[in-house]
Amino acid sequence: MSSTVGRSLGWYRVPVVVVALLASLLLIVPFVILVATSWTGGSFILFPPEGFSLQWYTEVLDDPRWMDSFRLSLWTASLSTLIAAVLGLLGAVGLARVRSRLAQRWIRTLFIVPIALPPIAYAVGLYGVNMELGFLRGTLVTLIVGHALVALPYVFVIVSGGMSRIDPALRPAASTLGAKWPLVLWKIELPALLPYLLSGALFAFVVVFDEVVLAVFLVPPGEQTLPLRMLNASQEAFSPELTAASTLVSILAILVLAIIPVTNAVRRRRALEGVTR
Amino acid sequence: MTIALSITDVHVTLGHNHVLKGVSLDVRPGEFVTLLGASGSGKTTLLNVIAGLQAVDSGHLTFDGVSMERTPPQKRNVGVVFQSYALFPHMSVGENVAFPLRAARRPARERKSVAEEMLALVQLPGMAGRSPASLSGGQRQRVALARALAANPGILLLDEPMAALDKQLREQMQVEVTRIQRKVGITTVSVTHDQTEALTMSDRVAIMRDGILVQVDSPEDLYRHPVDEYVAGFLGEANLLPTAGGRILDDAAGAEVDGTAVVRPEDLELVPSGEACPAWHVEGAIHLLSFQGTRFRLELLTDGGRKVVCSLPPSIDASTLVVGERARVACRNPERVHVIAATPATAAMVAA
Repeated sequence: MSSTVGRSLGWYRVPVVVVALLASLLLIVPFVILVATSWTGGSFILFPPEGFSLQWYTEVLDDPRWMDSFRLSLWTASLSTLIAAVLGLLGAVGLARVRSRLAQRWIRTLFIVPIALPPIAYAVGLYGVNMELGFLRGTLVTLIVGHALVALPYVFVIVSGGMSRIDPALRPAASTLGAKWPLVLWKIELPALLPYLLSGALFAFVVVFDEVVLAVFLVPPGEQTLPLRMLNASQEAFSPELTAASTLVSILAILVLAIIPVTNAVRRRRALEGVTR
Repeated sequence: MTIALSITDVHVTLGHNHVLKGVSLDVRPGEFVTLLGASGSGKTTLLNVIAGLQAVDSGHLTFDGVSMERTPPQKRNVGVVFQSYALFPHMSVGENVAFPLRAARRPARERKSVAEEMLALVQLPGMAGRSPASLSGGQRQRVALARALAANPGILLLDEPMAALDKQLREQMQVEVTRIQRKVGITTVSVTHDQTEALTMSDRVAIMRDGILVQVDSPEDLYRHPVDEYVAGFLGEANLLPTAGGRILDDAAGAEVDGTAVVRPEDLELVPSGEACPAWHVEGAIHLLSFQGTRFRLELLTDGGRKVVCSLPPSIDASTLVVGERARVACRNPERVHVIAATPATAAMVAA
C-alpha cells in the first residue's frame, strides 16, 4: 500500500483496507470454494474436498451431452454477439450524426433501457412470437435474436464512448478534403472504434454465453445450452460435475475478458514505437 | 489554381445568436488576409462559411465569380488547417497528406508521389511512414498544411494556426507558413486573435468585432490610420486623446471636441522645460517609469486624469524623470498623429 492514495489517507487507511479486503473476500471466497469442491475425489459437493482428483473434469469433458451444450452455447452466443456488434456499431455511429441534442439523448436512453428490463419480459414476449409463428417453432432463431437484444446495449454503450472520444474536427476536416461519408466511416471512424467494438463484443459474448432465463423459454426441446444444462443439473443430481462445469465456464469468461487488456497493451506499445506499419 | 474570393453581406444566426451581421470581404488571388478579432467576434464562423461547414442565412459567397452558397464542402476545393490540426490518428503521415487524393480516387502511385512532394515542401521529407502521434506540435502543423495543400485547392483557410504552439515555435512557423503560402501563391484567409501574428503574416488584416468587419487594411494602414478607437486600441498601444483644432485638449469640459487623436507611444518624445512645444503636446505628472531593455516606458497622468504612455529611447538621461514631477511630451511630426473625426455620439463619449 505505497500508492499516493494509501499514503494520503494516513492512519485512516487501516479500516479502509480492512473493508476492501473483506469485500474482495466476499467476491473471491465462494469462487475458490466452488473450484475446490470440483477437485474432490468423492462423489458429493463437499468443502473441504475429499482428496484431489480431476475425475469430474474428465467426466464433463468426456460427456457428449455437456460438450454438445457447450458447442451449442458457443455458436449461438457468437451469432448473437455478431448481430449485436453490427447493430450496436451502426447505432452508435448513426447517433453521432443526429443533429438535435434532445433527440440524441432520447435515442441513447432507448438503446440502454434493455439493460434495466428483466430478461423474463423478453423471454415471455419472444416465447409468444415462437408460438404464433409456426416456422420459428423448433428453431433457435428467437433465442439468438433475443440474446442479440440483451447484448446490444453493452456494445452500444461502449462503442458510443469510443465515438465521443473521436476529435469532432475530424469529420469536417475530412469533408473539406473531399471525403464523403463512406470513406469517413471506413478510414477514420471504424479504425478509431475498433478497440471499443472489440471490448463491447467480448462483454456481450460473456453476458450472453451465461444467459439462462431466455434459454429456459426459447431453447427447443431436445437441446440445452450450457447454462441451461447447468441449471437442470443443479436441480437433478447435485454432483461435483456441476462445479467442475462452472469452473470451466468461469475460466472461459476470464480468458475472453483478458483479451481486452492484452490487445490494449499491444496497441499502446505499437503507438509508442511511433510507426503505424 | 488560386482563386478570388468574394463575400457579400453574409448573415449567420446560430440559435439565438446573430453571429455574422452583414459581412462583406473581397480577397484578391494570391492574397493573404487575416481575420483578427476577440473570441466570439465571429471570425471562425466566417471561415466556416468560406469552407462550407456553416450555411448562411443570407448573402453571397463566390469563388472566381462562381456562387458557392449551395456547394457542399467536398466540392469547394478548399484546404483547411484546423486549430487542432485534425490529423487522422489511424493513418500514417503520408496517408494523411494523400487523403484528399484518396477521396478523389487517384491511383496509389500518384498519391505516394504527391505525399512526398508535399512533405518536401513543408520540410518534412521522409516522414511519410511515421504516425501523427509521434510528431511534435510544429511537425503536426506542417503535416496539416501539407494535407490542406495536397489536392491543389483554390483557397487555403487557417483556423488559429499557431494557437497550439509555444511562443518560440510560433514565430518560426509564422515565417514558415508565409514562405510556403508565397511559394504556392495561394489565396489565404487566416483567423487569429494574436495581433503580432496578423501583422507579421498578412497582406491585409480584417478587424472583426461583434459579427462585423470594422476595418480591412494593410497592417501599416491599420496601425497608422485606424477608423475608430476600437481598432486603435486593438492593434498595439495607443494614446487616445480628445482634440480640437489640431491640439490635444486635456480638459475637454465645455470645449468643442472635434475628434480623437491617436498617438502611438513611440512617436512621443520629452520636451525639456523652457523649450517651445510643438502643437501636438500633452503635459502631466510622471506616474510610472520602467526600463524595458529596448526602451523606457513612461506613464504620465494628465490633469484631466488621462493616462499617457510614452516610449523613450534607452539612451535618454532618466535621472531627471522622478515620479511625481511634471513633464511634457510631444509629437514633433504632425503626420504621425491620426485624428479620428468625432461623430456626435463619440464626441459625447470622449467628452465624458
